[in-house]
Formats: sequence, C-alpha cells, structure tokens
Amino acid sequence: MKWLWLLGVLALAPTGWSAEQDEPQGSVVRVRASIQPYDQFRPWQKKAPYGLNGTGVVLPGGRVLVTAALVANRTEVGLEKPGSAEKCAAEVEAIDYEANLALLRPERPEFLKGFRGLDLGPALRAGDMAEVWQLERNGELLRNQAEILTVGVGRYPNDEAGFLQYGVRVSLPKRDDSYTLPLIRQNELVGMVMMYDRDSQEGTAIPGPMIERFLEDAADGRYEGFPTLGVSWTPLRDPNLREEVKAPKSGGILVTRVNPRGTAGKAGLTEGDVILGVDGMKLDEDGNYRDSLYGLTAIGNLVRVRPKVGAKAKFSISRGGKEMELVGTYDRRARDEVAIPTLAFDAQPRYLVAGGLVFQELTGTYLQEWGDKWSERAPQRLVEYFVFQQEKRPDPDKKVVFLSQVLPASINLGYQQYSGLVLEKVNGKEIRDLAELASVLDQSPDGALVFEFRDDPGKLVVNAADVRAKQEEIQKAYGLPELRKL
Amino acid sequence: MVEVTSQVWDYRLPWNPGTVSSGRGAGFIVAGKKVITNAHVVSGARNITVQREADPRRYSAQVKYVAHDCDLAMLEVADPAFFKGTTHLDLGGIPELESVVSVYGFPIGGDRLSVTRGVVSRIDYNAYTHSGRESHLAIQIDAAINPGNSGGPVMQEDKVVGVAFQGFRGDVAQNVGYMIPTPVIRRFLKDVEDGKYDHYVDIAIRWMPLENPAMRQYLNRPNDGRGVVVTDIFSEGSSDGHLQKGDVLLSIDGHAIESDGSVRLDGKPVQLEEIVERKFSGEEVRLEVWREGRKESVRVPLKPADMFSMYENLYEPAPRYVLYGGLVFQPLTANLMAVLLGGADLRLKQKYTMFATDQMYRETPEPVILSAVLPDPSNVYLRGLAGQIVREINGKKIRTLADVETALASNGERTVIRFEGDSRPAVLKRNEVDLSTPRIMAQYGISEVSRTAVGDRRLAKGSASGEKSP
Repeated sequence: MKWLWLLGVLALAPTGWSAEQDEPQGSVVRVRASIQPYDQFRPWQKKAPYGLNGTGVVLPGGRVLVTAALVANRTEVGLEKPGSAEKCAAEVEAIDYEANLALLRPERPEFLKGFRGLDLGPALRAGDMAEVWQLERNGELLRNQAEILTVGVGRYPNDEAGFLQYGVRVSLPKRDDSYTLPLIRQNELVGMVMMYDRDSQEGTAIPGPMIERFLEDAADGRYEGFPTLGVSWTPLRDPNLREEVKAPKSGGILVTRVNPRGTAGKAGLTEGDVILGVDGMKLDEDGNYRDSLYGLTAIGNLVRVRPKVGAKAKFSISRGGKEMELVGTYDRRARDEVAIPTLAFDAQPRYLVAGGLVFQELTGTYLQEWGDKWSERAPQRLVEYFVFQQEKRPDPDKKVVFLSQVLPASINLGYQQYSGLVLEKVNGKEIRDLAELASVLDQSPDGALVFEFRDDPGKLVVNAADVRAKQEEIQKAYGLPELRKL
Repeated sequence: MVEVTSQVWDYRLPWNPGTVSSGRGAGFIVAGKKVITNAHVVSGARNITVQREADPRRYSAQVKYVAHDCDLAMLEVADPAFFKGTTHLDLGGIPELESVVSVYGFPIGGDRLSVTRGVVSRIDYNAYTHSGRESHLAIQIDAAINPGNSGGPVMQEDKVVGVAFQGFRGDVAQNVGYMIPTPVIRRFLKDVEDGKYDHYVDIAIRWMPLENPAMRQYLNRPNDGRGVVVTDIFSEGSSDGHLQKGDVLLSIDGHAIESDGSVRLDGKPVQLEEIVERKFSGEEVRLEVWREGRKESVRVPLKPADMFSMYENLYEPAPRYVLYGGLVFQPLTANLMAVLLGGADLRLKQKYTMFATDQMYRETPEPVILSAVLPDPSNVYLRGLAGQIVREINGKKIRTLADVETALASNGERTVIRFEGDSRPAVLKRNEVDLSTPRIMAQYGISEVSRTAVGDRRLAKGSASGEKSP
C-alpha cells in the first residue's frame, strides 16, 4: 500500500512534464558532474578537478535520479538531452551517501518537458530479467539485457553496515567513466546500477524498494535518511553459547555491544541480550527474517529500510532466559551523533593554523586520504580512535582535534617533525572541538601557550604573542586563503 | 668457514620441531681460541662445523655464547688441531671515514675465501635486522655484503675493525654493506667474561630536542644550545622512579648534551644513548638534570628494557602454547605476528604496535592470542575466533600464558573465554573437551598439551595491580 501512496505524492508535484512522448529515450538524460574534492592533507584547498558522466533517470515530477557517488564533491552538475547539445544545470535536492542515491532538480523545469518520467516497478527476485539502460555518445539508447543473480544485504560504497542490493549479470560496453545506470523492466524503474566489474561482468544495483524509501523521505523537502539500530551482534548457532546466554531453543542473535544513543540502546537493549524478533518478525540464529518479497533476508533490511526515522521499533528479546518486549523509536543518532564522522563529502574540512601548527578535526574521509592501506599508514592513534570509537571516544561532543602537520617557520623550530598528534589541552583547558580551540587561542594572554597532546612528545610550547605577530607572515608565506575554517 | 644446520620453529604449528635448513657463514679466531661469527649464522643451530681456508678437515663446533641483540656469537671448537698454526686476530678501533677496509668471507659464487675491498662511508646508528628491535652503532661500507660474508672479519692494517653482518635489501641501494664495529664486539666480549651473556641495557625514556626558544623559556632554560627534554618514561625501565617527564637532561657521565641530543665521545659527536650502550646491566649513568627550576644530580641504574622484548625475533626458545579443545593459545610475539600478519585483524595489529607506547605491559605483560582453532567436530562454531586477543577465561583476567593454564584448570562444567573488543565469547563444555583433546592431539600429531616454561626469556613484569580491570 505504501507503494501507491508514494506514486500519489509524486503525481501531485506541480511541474510541466507530459506523457505525450512514448519513446524510451525520453526517460533518461546524460548527467555530467564536475568533481573537485577538498584536499584533506591541505584542507585550505581543493584537489585537481575531474569530470564524471552517468545516465540519470527521469522521474515523474520532473526530477532526475542518480547515484550519490556520481555527484559527491561536485562543483557543478549538468543535465544533457541525449542526441542534442541542449544542457541545463541541476541542483541536488536530496542526497544520501549511505544509500548512494541523489535526486537532481533541473534549474529550468521546462528542460524536461517532453520527457516521460519513469514509475517505480515492483521489487525483483533472483532469476528475474531486466535491462540496464546506457546512453551512447550519439544519444542512442543501449538496452543491455541483465539477469538478477542475487538479492541480499551487502556493503554499499559508503556504508559498512549494509543495505539490500541486487547482484546483476550484464555485459556493459564502456561508455562513461562511472557506472550510474538505471535498471529497467517493462519501462519501469526497478533499480540503479552503482558498481560494475568488467572482468566478471557482474554488477551491483540499488533495488527499487531502496529508491522508493529514498524518494518518500525526500518528498517533503526534508531528507532524514535511513535509521540505524546501533548494536553489534553475533550469530547464535553455537549450542554451547546459547546455553551460556540462556537463549530459547531456537532463533535469535546475541547483542555484543550497544550504542546508548541508538535506536536499540534508547529502547533499553543491553549487551548480552538475545534479540528474538523485531517488529513482529522472527529472527533466525544468523539474524535473518522471512521477508514477504525476498524470502530469507538479513536483519539490516528489516531495521534500516522498512521503517522510517520516527517509526515505532518493537524488540522481542530474551534476557537471562526471560523473554520480554522492548519498545523504542527508530532514529539515526548512533550514526549521526559521533565524535568522528565517517563521511565528510562536499564540506570543506575544518582546520585552524596557529604559529604554523595545523590542527584538524578527525573524519573517516581524512583517514581514507592515506590510501587503500590507510589503517596501516595513517597515524595509529587516529586509526584507533576512528575504528574503535565506541570504546575509545564514545562522547559525540568530544571531537578528535589533532595536529595534522607543521608548516615550518621560525616560531615552530624543533617541532617540525611532529604530526598526527591528538590534542587534549591548551594551557590546561580541555579542548572538545576546533571551535573551542579557536576561542581558547583568541582569549589566551601573551605568554606561553602550552599544547598538550595524547602522545609523545606530550607538550609543545609557543608564545601566544609570537603566534599573533607571525600569523600574517605564515599565511602569506604558504599562500593560505584562510587561517581557519571552523 | 662456518657451516650450520639449523632448525626454525614454526609458530603456526608451535608443537612441531620446525624445519631444517643449512647455510654457511664466516668467522674469525680471537684471543683465547674462540671463533667469533654472527648470531644469525648460528641461530637455531643443531650442528655446526668449521673449516679453515686451505685445510680440508671439518671440525665440530659448539655455540658458547650468542647475543641476538647485537648479532654476535662465540663458538668453541673442541679439537685443538683446528687452532694449530693459527694466530688470533686483534681488535682495532673505529676506522676513519673514506679509509679502505677488506672484507673476508665465503659469499655465494664459490667455495674459497673471498676478499673484497670497500671504503668506510658512514658511521651511525642502524637497525640490527636479526633481532628486529635493536639499533646500535654500525659502519656502512661500499662493498656488498652477501650471504656467506656474514660473520667474517673486516680488516684494516692487520686488525679487525668490524664483523660483516648485513647488506641492504631491495633495489633502493646497491653496493651497501654494514659491519658491526669494535665497540659493539668489545662489549660482547666483556659481557660474556662472567660466563653468560646479558642483554643490552636501555635508559628507557623518550626525549625531544630543545631547540624551540619558547619551549626553552617555558622550562626556564637559557638559550645556550644545551639539553633535551624528557617526554616519556617507560615504567619498569631503568629511569622509572629516577627521572620525570619534563626533566631537562644537561649532561650524561660528564658529557655535555647538546640541544639535539648529541654528546662528544672521543672528539666525535654521537647520540647520548651511545654512553648508555657501552655500559652493562647493574652499572649506572650520572645525569645532570634541570628539574623544576634547579639543577639536580641523578643516578640511573641501568637494566635491559624488558618491556620491548615482545618485538624481538626469537630463535632458540621453543614456541610456548596451550592447547584446549583444539584452541591454540600463544603469547603475542614478533614471531607469531610474522605468521599471522596479513590475516591479523586491526585490533591485534594495534595491540602489537601500541603495546610499548601505551605501556600496556603494565596490565598485560604478555598478551595471549587465540592463534588457531584446529578443526574438530567439537569446535565448528569457534573457528571464526582465531586471531582474537584473550581477555579473560572463566572470570580470570589473562595477563600471561601461565594465567591461561591456571584459568583453564578451574573446575566448572563450562569454560567461558572472553576476548577484547565486541567479539562473542567462546563457550566449551569440559566433558566435551576431555573427549576431544586426545582426539585432536592424535589427529594433528601433537605430543604435548602445552609448553609454558618461560626459561631465561625476559618479560615485562606487569607492575599494575593484577586485579584492575582493563
């Protein structure tokens, strides 16, 4: 029923699209994005720009759907009619990096006049056939036959916890430099290809129901995102372990860690609980429930895609052998309220330069800048805080401010070898974020400015008056547009 | 020529006697009818023969002392005929830069003695790769050192000025060889005079150069270019209880310390640690220290830095382990990491790299890893747990391998093993383990259920109270 409701909302959107054209070319546009990410190691500047192209699908209501990966870190996004030079700039109306979806709105609504917006089709099952649509350079539409191989919860490019995805076998010619391509069945949108491996000729697509949830959420103009449970769990197949935690005869998973801010934590779940079911759906020993559409499906889909933020969450648990029900509200706090955010797309990294010492706030994106082997190459303390933050930095308001590098100047003589040091205090005052560091620096009287770090060498001392006197000189010498971005 | 058959323990299968291999190196005769060679030539040796150039006979030899930390060993040859007609070599000093030295040995490419000439190009601290954790003074020469050169004398004017010991791996540099200089050799010879080899001592602090004027002002030190600041003191180390964080070290044994940490020794600048390097366990250094605005004189009694022993490659001692229901427990060592690496998860890697920095040894002197789960019908659900760090067994906190044995011996129907992080616990039933253990031992050819004796291996003591929770 939810399905019909969604279409109703979109049909009401007041735009000038019409259904007069029946040619399927009239349902896709080429999307060109200029990408320029910030340089995490030099947070005052951006890296070299590059372009990405993808095939966007026109939706009823005059919007275009693409993957978030296509438009992440964009400077601009343009739509292009197939086989014509006509272009139009577009704005990102809603974007979800975790679900890897973005909704574009053309700046001129009449640009999409004559296009036929595609409706969402039903969910697919393994074995179903569909088409992957791809635009040739000349604007011709390639309709590549695709087979759905698998339907299951798996990792998305920017989401470790996993969402439902389709495994697709399809032979795609290389046409664009990204694989943002619509998955179509009977002229209905049933998914969006987001990854493709040319060697195995297998790809991954975002399923229609994920797109449906994304569009539903975006419809009111206030995008909230997918909820998260905020627990770590382990399967309960081992009969010895079941006995130890007094689990009932069958079913259920063991909670090994709970984020007190998350959906489950707020509902009262604790470490050691056995989750037997959620929202009336029973979980088996591996954390799967029986989905009406997909059959046996991982809990991730049950608690992240089916419910919306704000919906009621119902947990059936067993605690110390006693079964009980716990009730809470689905939310995203376990994901959003963290000391170290995972994703830092689009935004300029925060930084502050004082006496040539560059301080930044730690993000997952900063660590990724160290390359594929970031967990080995990046400063180990930063890796530790990021990967084990629930243990090591559980307070979401206490950000990780660290000395990322030293821009050599006479004032920081003897300190130039230090980097990757987590800042704890300045002149004895605990520093909780970069803004607080800025205000402490601004208010400090002339004299010694003592920075205290978590690790060796522990303390670095500069003179506050010298720092102020030299700021401009350092800014000029290194050509920094700003000395801080808070 | 020193020919050696050695056996290397396999930390994947710690109960096995290991793989047998053979190799050769060089050595030379010093006063007292002893042969000096590299530790890495004879480590794990099961049979050693020595042969003189131009004498076809092979003589059996024994390791008298081995110093893995400085890659030196002393051999004894029982048959006096070996020394007939030989003269011992004397040790010289540190050769001058740019001076020419000759490297003697039996490198690949033939069986007869080979002599190569090289120029002394650098005298500096360098990592001694055999031990994996040590850095000592080393001399770089521009003659390549190849396998078979190891242990051979490097001569200048009829005197030994070094022992050839390692080359430069990889393609980055060519024609680079390293030799162990005579101060290190002399220290080894002196150390073993009492009949046993002790380890190098370490002052066990971290310090930073005192170059910044604002830092100097903060510490009330004049801009005289002297002194370094103590930034960390390793508990249980030599300086624990003698030095404090923030102390400025002004001189060591009367040698003034420059603000970059160098001192003058025999007219040459060396790192202040070189003063410590030349001392022995039980000796002390005298430090002039600037502490809280006044000068103090501090004596630091020196001892080895046992808290770093996790990082040294082990050669002779047999790997220690405890087997329980197919679960193999091993202490975390450099050798174990070498076989786990790649497969080791981030938590374990971090435990290893941050162990000394974070002084984790105070709580857990010897972290214990569930290194493997030997497949058996009784442990099908436990296989994914290999590589986890053991936190507690049956409610007892695990600080050393010995704790594992004790904790497993407790009488309960079930054994519950908990790990660091948010991994699930392993639960085993005692009666099932009693049945599976003999079966697993027979299946995998394991003759002993555990090997836990520490022997003469030095471990961190673990000064924190054992009752404290992690």
